[in-house]
Amino acid sequence: MTSTLIRPASAPPQPAPRARLTRRQRLSRFDVKASPYLYIAPFFVLFGLTGLFPLVYTLVVSLHDWQLLQGQGDFVGLANFAAVLQDRFFWNSIGNTLSIFVLSTVPQLLVALVIAAVLDQNLRAKTFWRMSVLLPYIVSPVAVALIFSSVFNEQSGLVNNLLGVVGIEPIDWKQDTLASHVAIATMVNWRWTGYNALILLAAMQSVPRDLHEAAAIDGAGAVRRFLSVTLPGIRPTFVFVLITATIGGLQIFAEPRLFDVTTAGGVGGSDRQFQTSVLYLWEMAFFRQNFGEAAAIAWLLFLLIVGIGLINFLLSRRIASAESAVRRRRDRSKGARR
Amino acid sequence: MSHQRARTRAIGLGAGFLALATGVAGCSAAGDAEGDGGDLTLTVTTFGTFGYEDLYDEYEELNPGITIEASNIDTGGNARTDVFTKLAAGGGLSDVVAIEEGWLGAIMEVSDQFVDLRDHGIEDRAADWVDWKYAQATDPDGRVIGYGTDIGPEGLCYNRDLFEAAGLPGDREAVAELLGGDDATWEGYFDLGRQYQEATGKAWFDQSGFVWNAMVNQLPEGYYSTDGELIVDDNPELRERFDLLATAAADGLSAAETEWDWNGGKSFTDGTFATLVCPGWMLGNVTERLEAGGGGAESGWDFADVFPGGAANWGGAFLTVPTTSEHQEEAAKLASWLTEPEQQVKQSTAAGNFPSTLAAQEQLAADATPNPIFNDAPTGAILAERAEGVQAQFKGPDDSLIQESVFGPPLDAIDRGDADADDGWSQAQQLLGELVD
Repeated sequence: MTSTLIRPASAPPQPAPRARLTRRQRLSRFDVKASPYLYIAPFFVLFGLTGLFPLVYTLVVSLHDWQLLQGQGDFVGLANFAAVLQDRFFWNSIGNTLSIFVLSTVPQLLVALVIAAVLDQNLRAKTFWRMSVLLPYIVSPVAVALIFSSVFNEQSGLVNNLLGVVGIEPIDWKQDTLASHVAIATMVNWRWTGYNALILLAAMQSVPRDLHEAAAIDGAGAVRRFLSVTLPGIRPTFVFVLITATIGGLQIFAEPRLFDVTTAGGVGGSDRQFQTSVLYLWEMAFFRQNFGEAAAIAWLLFLLIVGIGLINFLLSRRIASAESAVRRRRDRSKGARR
Repeated sequence: MSHQRARTRAIGLGAGFLALATGVAGCSAAGDAEGDGGDLTLTVTTFGTFGYEDLYDEYEELNPGITIEASNIDTGGNARTDVFTKLAAGGGLSDVVAIEEGWLGAIMEVSDQFVDLRDHGIEDRAADWVDWKYAQATDPDGRVIGYGTDIGPEGLCYNRDLFEAAGLPGDREAVAELLGGDDATWEGYFDLGRQYQEATGKAWFDQSGFVWNAMVNQLPEGYYSTDGELIVDDNPELRERFDLLATAAADGLSAAETEWDWNGGKSFTDGTFATLVCPGWMLGNVTERLEAGGGGAESGWDFADVFPGGAANWGGAFLTVPTTSEHQEEAAKLASWLTEPEQQVKQSTAAGNFPSTLAAQEQLAADATPNPIFNDAPTGAILAERAEGVQAQFKGPDDSLIQESVFGPPLDAIDRGDADADDGWSQAQQLLGELVD
């Protein structure tokens, strides 16, 4: 009350010349111009602190001879990168990463598609089924790794016991390269399939029902409708799921780290059979204490992920353009009918 | 009404002052406190089975005003990662940090990040410890950075029932004699193993990694010479012992077990192997795994006062105070107290490890407390015998890396029968060149 009474008195009786803005006006103009930047600043400040700074600092470390405990040494240029690129363990880790990535992503997305399609039907207790599918995602990857490393125990693990029942020789899950990749991919799949299924399910539900009905009237069976209506309808979402799965797949760490903790300090098998790139980075930094080379590995991994991300991007652009082509065609046929 | 409330407040205030006063008194009684008069919290980080829980309570009781916040890391390997990471980050270490002998070499490279305990009177206690333990904690500049806790003299764990089933004597004195007593050799140990293997068709020891560790630790110089040179190639004894071990493994003496796991402990109960190299602290590990695998005293394990190749030490820990600690004086006092003979005896009772101070060792030898899991063997007294003649070996900065990552893979391959001695040695050579600069 008082302030409204006072304000006119304090305001200048004559408005200032047009060029001169009042303090309030200037403030308001400043507000219009600067506020948006202030609103988005938290993200950029955070990104600078937690994203950009570590990235640049890692680059600085990678250009130096840098021991974990002794700290910064001499500037060595690209010597760390050269050393890493000539390191057979680095290439071994890239190979393992890609192998585990393929073994996990492909079946995972296929199964996720099927589960999503099933959940998309008119089921009883829908929410219950959808929640159950997400359940493995809640479990921490560390717990998953511990449980599965016991399941895949070579001497008396569950899997080998079951195989023994059907008369199959026990498999060296922690020695054989391919077997260990399958075991680790299983952990990844177990955790992520349901999560991806739910995202795909959301996409499937946004596919117009009348398309399904039209196809059904035209005599298309369930499989045909899935392939020709559902799949094209969820393509953008599928690409998104593929990209996130790729990034996750290239950064697998907890599962191989904990799959066999005792052999050779837990660096991914006695002969590095299942040592992924991130695990190798960890070994280089905290086991071999060569921080410089570890930083170089981190950067090479970054470049690799950017590279694969670019491929994904091109792929998704093609799909997007294919989609607009379809729409154009559809529009055209509509026009013709009209 | 208001009158009454005021009185309550006064009482509360009085109680507060009283508490504060006792706190101050407690601190000054404890000696040179930080001077701020308030309570003090000390953080301690240990690993594995340290057996300090009751001692923390006791110390808090003796020193009112001091609160101990303890954390324990499951294995020595993870503790190493924890310490290295925090050293690299320049902060986050506890006031008192336990360090393992295996990676002491790497710590010694940055010994200036730890408080020189001579400033806190460790020199007055130097005679408490076996001399080599004190020497291990001394850096090249003469700074002493660790209070020794335990040492790892090695004896032989063996399974009495399996021995007797194979026609060997089961009694622990007889076993010691059979292996040659004080003159026991690795050749003799493996030969007896071959005899056992022929009689039973079963493996003699659990896996080659631990045996190799013992074989290397026992030498006057292992992977490094005394003056810190890497001598893996120039140490003929290493190659000799490697061949000996590889031949034994090729003869089927190794059970190729997963180290530290032993098939969830079940291998201790089902006769998979008959012997195990046992440093003092390993007795705790064996007990834990044995019980996890559903075994116990009835599983037939025993502990013999003998070790192939003579006295050997594996591991043992130190308590250090990082320079980042804000309460160095109090931290050093706590660490010193924890490693006094009296407390070491209590620690040994709780954790089954073997103390590094002479008085505590004598106490254990005199007590000769029977260990029920190991057929009532007086394990403390036996370990005291086993500690005699132990020589401290110089540990270089990459000692634990060489042990695990250079010799680990070839020994695994040999255990599985995928490599012979020559393959294994050349694989180790290659790994050494690649992993250690």
